[in-house]
Amino acid sequence: MSPQPSRTLTARRLSLDSWAVLLAFLLAALVRIGLVKVVPW
Amino acid sequence: MVTPAGTTPDPFLDGPAQPGFLGRVAGYVPGLALLAGVGWLGKLLEQTINGYGKAHHLLLPNIEYVLWAILIGLVIGNLFTLPKVFEAGVGTYEFWLKVGIVLLGARFVLGDVLKLGGISLILVVVEIAGALSLMLWLGKVFGLKPKLASLLAVGTAVCGVSAIIAARGSIDSDDEDSAVAIAAILALGAFALVFFPLIGHALHMSDRAFGVWTGLAVDNTAEAIASGAIYSDTAGKISVLVKTARNAMIGFVVLGFAIYWSRRGLARKVEGKAAFLVEKFPKFVLGFLAISVLLSAHLFSKPQVAALGNLSKWAFLLTFAGVGLRTNFRKLFQQGLRPLVVGALGELLIAFLTLGLVIGANAVWGL
Repeated sequence: MSPQPSRTLTARRLSLDSWAVLLAFLLAALVRIGLVKVVPW
Repeated sequence: MVTPAGTTPDPFLDGPAQPGFLGRVAGYVPGLALLAGVGWLGKLLEQTINGYGKAHHLLLPNIEYVLWAILIGLVIGNLFTLPKVFEAGVGTYEFWLKVGIVLLGARFVLGDVLKLGGISLILVVVEIAGALSLMLWLGKVFGLKPKLASLLAVGTAVCGVSAIIAARGSIDSDDEDSAVAIAAILALGAFALVFFPLIGHALHMSDRAFGVWTGLAVDNTAEAIASGAIYSDTAGKISVLVKTARNAMIGFVVLGFAIYWSRRGLARKVEGKAAFLVEKFPKFVLGFLAISVLLSAHLFSKPQVAALGNLSKWAFLLTFAGVGLRTNFRKLFQQGLRPLVVGALGELLIAFLTLGLVIGANAVWGL
């Protein structure tokens, strides 16, 4: 039986692009639900 | 071994070898702090100089934070050797670029994306065809190795370093060729940061026309967006949209080269063209479109759109600091003169070609 891939290896399959999209969506969700209200510039 | 900027394809994979998740995350902190520090200093300099000019009624040139951040990064990166502890964090600048692009989708309603994106796609197809033919011809004239010429052509036609990295594996080119091609593209990108805004001002180009031009002509996505943002906020925004349309073509161009080289028996056979296109398609383009769709569905209020826009600006600030820190002129010019001459000549001609396209498109569609 082949060994199960570790969690780390599974996470590593995501590309840089996918990580970037995930983070951007997480930030957008935080803004949408009101946890992040104002971002100063 | 020269490791120019952008050759770190995935900072999450190539980070320092530390055991455990927290250890790996900690490895990015010094470099991230440096990116943030350089970016913040750039912003502070812009505000301080503008404030001083206003307080003393002086007409000082308005130099955007983008240029300051890049300049400070360039000074640090070229005068000092960055300790290894900063490398992993500084290498994340391309990651922040993509986060910034996705979040910027909140500044475009889908109608704008489709209108300007549609016009951009037409211009992008003409630009890609022109750039590929020109670079391959110049490569032949100057006697470059055919695979090096292919890499330079892909880099100048589509999206700089990312395109070269994507093509490198697909056409089985050697590491030296890709390092040379990347160095040439980066050296020319650094010049674009200075000369494109100067030319734009000399020609009194509108913000939108200038944004379209930089999105079409500057190869590396970070430098294309930075050139636009140095000109104005609007130009920066437009250059993101046009450059994103250009990036979306990467799969088709790389697939074309992969098939060409495999038919000559000099690269692996391409199995499953559709899967190849899906694999090479930049996922952040989909993220950008998805956020734009959510905005068009009125999912975000006005203050929320402003907050997302500012988050995008912070992500770009980290990117611009990284562009400066990772551009090392000494290393770039060590790569030999011929590829640089081919790249420079090609870039110059492509800049003129795309300028003509933008002027034409402006007359026809009113950019």
